[in-house]
Amino acid sequence: MLTSENVTYRYKKNKRTILDSVNYSLEEGCFSAVMGESGSGKSTFLAVMAGILKPLEGTVRYNDVDLYELKDKELSRIHRNSICYVPQSNIMLKNITVLENIVNPYLETASDEDLKEKAVSLLEKLGIGNLAGNYPYELSGGELKRASIVRAALMDPKVIIADEPTTGLDKETGNRILSFLSEYAKAGNSVLVATHDEHIEGYADNILRLERS
Amino acid sequence: MLFSGSIIKGSLDKGMDNMDRRLGSDIMLVPKGSREQAENLLLEGQRGTFYFDGSVDDKVKDIEGISEVTSQCFLKSLSADCCSSEVELVFYDPDTDFVVGPWIETNYKSDLKKDNVIVGSDIVTENGTIKLFGKDYEVVSQMAKTGTALDSSVYFSDESMASVIADAEEKNSFLTEEQKDGDILSSVFINLKDGYNEDDVIRECHAKAGDVFDVVYPKQLNESLSDNLLRITDIVGAVVLIGGILLFGILVLINSVIIESRKQEVALLRVLGNSKSKMALMLISETGAVSLFGSLVGCLLGALIVIPFGRYIGMSLSMPYLGPSFIGASVQVIVIMAIVFLVALVSSILFVFHVTGIEPYLALKKEAE
Repeated sequence: MLTSENVTYRYKKNKRTILDSVNYSLEEGCFSAVMGESGSGKSTFLAVMAGILKPLEGTVRYNDVDLYELKDKELSRIHRNSICYVPQSNIMLKNITVLENIVNPYLETASDEDLKEKAVSLLEKLGIGNLAGNYPYELSGGELKRASIVRAALMDPKVIIADEPTTGLDKETGNRILSFLSEYAKAGNSVLVATHDEHIEGYADNILRLERS
Repeated sequence: MLFSGSIIKGSLDKGMDNMDRRLGSDIMLVPKGSREQAENLLLEGQRGTFYFDGSVDDKVKDIEGISEVTSQCFLKSLSADCCSSEVELVFYDPDTDFVVGPWIETNYKSDLKKDNVIVGSDIVTENGTIKLFGKDYEVVSQMAKTGTALDSSVYFSDESMASVIADAEEKNSFLTEEQKDGDILSSVFINLKDGYNEDDVIRECHAKAGDVFDVVYPKQLNESLSDNLLRITDIVGAVVLIGGILLFGILVLINSVIIESRKQEVALLRVLGNSKSKMALMLISETGAVSLFGSLVGCLLGALIVIPFGRYIGMSLSMPYLGPSFIGASVQVIVIMAIVFLVALVSSILFVFHVTGIEPYLALKKEAE
């Protein structure tokens, strides 16, 4: 479903090669994890796989389509409908509610009411349905992370790629997020996460370990 | 600043153009000692109560070198039932007048009859008439706005002067002895034939009429004012230009800060499926909307100063000042908004393309760069 072939990435600034010819395949219905020490390139690998960081060499294909050969609008369509990325930091606009933060990016694709209804249902699933009308600054880090995952899952993308979704969270919240993602994968989708969390072993179907070069 | 500057410049230009059309004589004879009042008359249209003998125009009209002569008489401080403030009555000879006459004739083509008047733009009429000293006069024309005291004047044919003074006396209005006498003039306007020297003609006027008048040179006054106007409009133009450059600089700075600060937000929206062009359009639309709103507010604030106080601005600069009409000011607002909008777009476009062009991941994870 989503594969990388000989993906290599090097940061221009320090010339350090982060990824060196990585080959990987994320299959349908699979919950995969990428682990490794800090600086091993987990986040960079996820970004490359998500189509938001062009590798120096190699290709990333989604259903046999090279993401980095697509035109911007075609790639945007894939990001909206098929591959959704959850960044490590919880980025939300401060002056609108959590629900609006989740719904607004997709307003052109569906009705406001439908999106809100679905968003509230997902928020409830993750235990924060009562916080939909709150502003982001009123939420804790764990609650914001869950809201970010709801935002990613709202359009039912075939692939969710989440960068360290449980980092800094208590065990219960972390497990809740991992359960949600695992369930999401089992529903015929795919999930790829980067994590240091050893609990992932209880949820992930496979783990890719990266080493710092 | 752009709006205020352009309105002031436009109003001074318009006032000057207006005055230029109003001052059509080479020489103006006024009663001795009245030169300053007469110059005020030319600049601001303020009538004075200065008089000399009613025969001065007859005495000088046949002097060699004079092509045309006309006279006017002003009665000031006479109140009319029509108006809360003073109105100024101007008696002129429609047959010979070439100073105010052509200005009036732009609105009125027929001869001014005895019971007819022409009124300035600020005079309020009732059913086409105006009541003065208990008598109704038919208003046959209303003049265009001049931005001077001419706007509150009522113009009569000189044939009406005796009856108006009689009516004023009957109504116990205050009149000086000179005014009661009736055979008086306030100014004699003279145009010279080509090739004749002003000094020679004035010398001959003194010889014929006696040492009863001072001389004012409207066209010289006009030229001097034109020079002043040029200097003032140069200054206003320079201020507007500097303001424009500052505006561009400030907008570049503001846009760089605002758009850069939204790098993460743009990157996130791109990750969630919004294209570069959509993001660029969003940022440009927001910049445009803010600039339109800002320029509208700026124009309204500027209008609060330059429109109500325009006359005082003109007076403080000792220049004729004819403010814009509502439509003129509205057009100016639209032009300024369009300029500011374009400047805002130009000043933001580089930042917009920079921000939308960054790889989303690098913008989301700033430290990675």
